[in-house]
Amino acid sequence: MKKKGRWIAPTQEIPTASLPDISFLLLIFFLSTCMFALEEGIPLVLPGRSSGTIKIKRSAVCVVQTRPDGSITVDKEPATLLELRRIVETKLAENENLVVVVETHPQSEYGLMVDVLDELRLADARRISLKSLEVDK
Amino acid sequence: MADISFLLFIFFVSTTIFRMETGLPITLPRAETVVSQKREMVVRIWVDQKGQISIQDKLVGIGQVRDIMVKILEENPARIVAFNADTRTPNRDVSAVIEELKKANAVRLSFTAAKQSDAGG
Repeated sequence: MKKKGRWIAPTQEIPTASLPDISFLLLIFFLSTCMFALEEGIPLVLPGRSSGTIKIKRSAVCVVQTRPDGSITVDKEPATLLELRRIVETKLAENENLVVVVETHPQSEYGLMVDVLDELRLADARRISLKSLEVDK
Repeated sequence: MADISFLLFIFFVSTTIFRMETGLPITLPRAETVVSQKREMVVRIWVDQKGQISIQDKLVGIGQVRDIMVKILEENPARIVAFNADTRTPNRDVSAVIEELKKANAVRLSFTAAKQSDAGG
């Protein structure tokens, strides 16, 4: 029997048609499982263990207390967070060395303390002291 | 098409990280004046609503916080402590941890909060 034409060996090829699909799947996997590592927070520098007590004039201090019911007082007067900002801005305009002491009630929420610190930073107060209120048991 | 997708893939692989630390399940408070910190400078401390404390994915007691932070800061005293606490955590637990951090001379704190566009009032 006569052969019909020459026999051509089949070419070896790797099918690449699905390559974009694989790469997109990997991309989506990394997009969904990874996250940009961002640490965002309100910075504060605490006094070190070696730092002593500093005496400050009463007029140069503004005391903000947080209450368990979610309210705050500024120099013993009830105030809102917005009022706190305005009061501190006014006091800072009179005395740029104003120290704001944030006294937190042990049963008040941490979120309230962060709100107070946030408002103080918005008021541009940079000298902040954190203190835990002593409560009679 | 494959080239573009691989380029994007390599970009994401090189710029993101797998989240290594689980911490504790907490709801972060929101704040407007948050500042970004360099990831490599940060050591995270987690305090949940019940007062449980976690450092580097290990639950620790309040008495252990100082010793652990002293060891961490021995390697790099300039590290910043990212304080991740639930917004409903009582301040007595927060204050207790802060006191221990002061004793460990871990004075550079960052109170982690979710970015808020409008300030609360």
